[in-house]
Amino acid sequence: MELAWYALLGLFFAGYLVLGGYDYGVGLLLARGVDASRRRAALNAVGPFFLGNEVWLVAAVGILFGAFPVLEGELLAGSYPAVLAALVGVILVTAGVQLRSRPEGERARGAWDRVIVIGSLLAALGWGVMLAGLLQGVPLRADGHVAGVTHLFTPFAAATGLAVLALTVAHGATFLTLRMPVAESDQLRPLARRLLVTAAVAVSAAAVVGLSADRVRATAQRPAVGVLLAVLLVAALLAARVALGRRRPGVAFVATATALALPVLLVGATLWPYVLVSTLEPNASLTVTDAAASGPTLRLLGWLAVPLLPALLGFQAMCWWIFRGRTDGRAPVYW
Amino acid sequence: MDTLLLARLQFATTASVHFLFVAVTLGLVTLLVGMQTAWVVTGNQRWERSTRFWGQLYVINYVLGIATGIVMEFQFGLNWSGLSRYVGNVFGAPLAIETLVAFFLESTFLGMWIFGWHRLRRGVHLALLYGVAITAYASAFWIMVANSWLQNPVGYEVRDGVAHLTDFSALLTNPALWTALGHVVSAALLTGGLLMAAISAWHLSRRTPDFALFRSSLRIGVVTAAVAISLVQGFGFAQFGPVGGAQPTKFGGTSPQAEALIADWTARFGPGDYLPPTLSSVGLGFMILIGFTLGLLWLFVPLLWRDWIIRLRFPLWLLILALPLPFVALILGWIAREVGRQPWVAYGLLPVDQAVSPISPWLMGTSLVGFTLLLGALAVTNWVLLARHAARGAADPALGRPPAQPPADDPRPEPAFA
Repeated sequence: MELAWYALLGLFFAGYLVLGGYDYGVGLLLARGVDASRRRAALNAVGPFFLGNEVWLVAAVGILFGAFPVLEGELLAGSYPAVLAALVGVILVTAGVQLRSRPEGERARGAWDRVIVIGSLLAALGWGVMLAGLLQGVPLRADGHVAGVTHLFTPFAAATGLAVLALTVAHGATFLTLRMPVAESDQLRPLARRLLVTAAVAVSAAAVVGLSADRVRATAQRPAVGVLLAVLLVAALLAARVALGRRRPGVAFVATATALALPVLLVGATLWPYVLVSTLEPNASLTVTDAAASGPTLRLLGWLAVPLLPALLGFQAMCWWIFRGRTDGRAPVYW
Repeated sequence: MDTLLLARLQFATTASVHFLFVAVTLGLVTLLVGMQTAWVVTGNQRWERSTRFWGQLYVINYVLGIATGIVMEFQFGLNWSGLSRYVGNVFGAPLAIETLVAFFLESTFLGMWIFGWHRLRRGVHLALLYGVAITAYASAFWIMVANSWLQNPVGYEVRDGVAHLTDFSALLTNPALWTALGHVVSAALLTGGLLMAAISAWHLSRRTPDFALFRSSLRIGVVTAAVAISLVQGFGFAQFGPVGGAQPTKFGGTSPQAEALIADWTARFGPGDYLPPTLSSVGLGFMILIGFTLGLLWLFVPLLWRDWIIRLRFPLWLLILALPLPFVALILGWIAREVGRQPWVAYGLLPVDQAVSPISPWLMGTSLVGFTLLLGALAVTNWVLLARHAARGAADPALGRPPAQPPADDPRPEPAFA
């Protein structure tokens, strides 16, 4: 039962990184200095999916609270600066995207676009640092609380933050090649291919920094799995680059989506059976079973999830199906 | 400044801002459902334009509801990690259900509704709005289940210092739940109705060319607000019995039950101040005063006959002036409910000082100042945008604009692919 809920938590957080990831990628690409109409076109390419994307985060945190209450408290409070940055980023992006076209002036819209860029930057860096914090272990004391927040400030956390940032930008560019009209997509392709190489380099660099850090080596319960998944991640990025070269944006998008989901799997599998590994006292480390809510709560939520999950995924799939294909002149413009 | 006080201030600030926006969301979406249904059934274009105009205001308002809602959700883990540690097994369940059943689906539906104009069949498009409304009510329900559990913990047993769920149905029959839910939902309807009435009144007072549209909106708003204020008052007074029974210390004053409870707490948790600050009951008094004042909304209903409400003009101005009242009352009522359970997070079970996260006051202070400035700035910006779009009128809202039509609010034409 705990494993099923842990998998579900992973599914929703990975889903958020994949879907929210291209929101932030597209948001970051607004900084390219292209003209106002292209910026608006890019945001409306995300258009109908935007509201449905960010709620994967809300659902993930809901599952975290309902099924893993102890983990929720210690993970969020123990990674305070990273979560704070990510949260501010999420707020800025959600407000920026939805409000940017409500004022009329080009200047006000430009200002909102800068808000979206900053928000996307903070969100990508924040979640990257939080994932790195899990991989390098946390100073969990015997009383069950995380001591201080300075444990987050390491080269590995910085490298991972930058890697997730590079991943989201490359993913966002790939999304735009898939969703924008053909002419625009052709112009974006070389940029997307360069960004995919950058992301592969950034991920490799983070992996090397991680492997050379004592804390990460001591924390990893299954280092081999971690390395294997990191290799897979880089391979997915390179595969996306090849697919873009062959004008297969759909395949490329599947590959970058896999790349965005893999960090969550990597963290979960490398730390298993633990979820928070203590750098202070081995006995204080928290396993997935320790972190889970007690039996009656999980059973109650389980009965609810059985009918609900198909509905949640079904309505999301309905949204993707209705608004599939490239944007064209017939698509409503609202953002 | 200690961490606890800063954390409480942050919760109060975020919850207050959140409440101002979600009340409008819940109230307006109910009226929107009626308008879009009327449009689909009658085919009358005026209802389509009404849906677009009020829908656009609804969507702008929704932005801050969702932004503050996300902060609220994270805040439990960030600032109140003891809450999830000691009572998360019980309190977490309704919150998890709320995010999955309500929040997740509400946003998914709304995204499709916004971008579905001119693209989806009318019935499907209407069904999406029904989905948004139903999930909004589900959201209010599950949040109130969670909040009522904090007011009056039920259906649990404590083993090794941690609360475990024993009877989920007790959470749904919590005496602190149903009258409070009725009170909050009717307060949201009152706010939505009065907002619609006041904006329509403003346009009518300026002799808008869009007379027919704003006349019907005014009538809907006034009738909704009048019915809602009676429900607010009814549920409000009906609450004193069950809530006072469950929380004898809530409304100040001393009663034998309150004294017995405080003696029990002193024995179990040690001596301390177990009475809530007077601030909460003073606020409650003002809220009741506002509630009675708004009861006068019924005087506007007979004036709808032969449009006397518009022809006399001053009733329009009174409606505009009354607009801030439900918002002030919302905050005061919320303070009475939340501050009234001090010094407990979960009444009689978990004191606030055991629930707050063990982080430094500096970090908590930074977070408080940062989020207060951020959410405050966003809230003000949002209200300015709402006011501007409300003032612009229903001629050509961006929401639901046909894709072929060049946007009148854009300084230059969009490229074809936008």
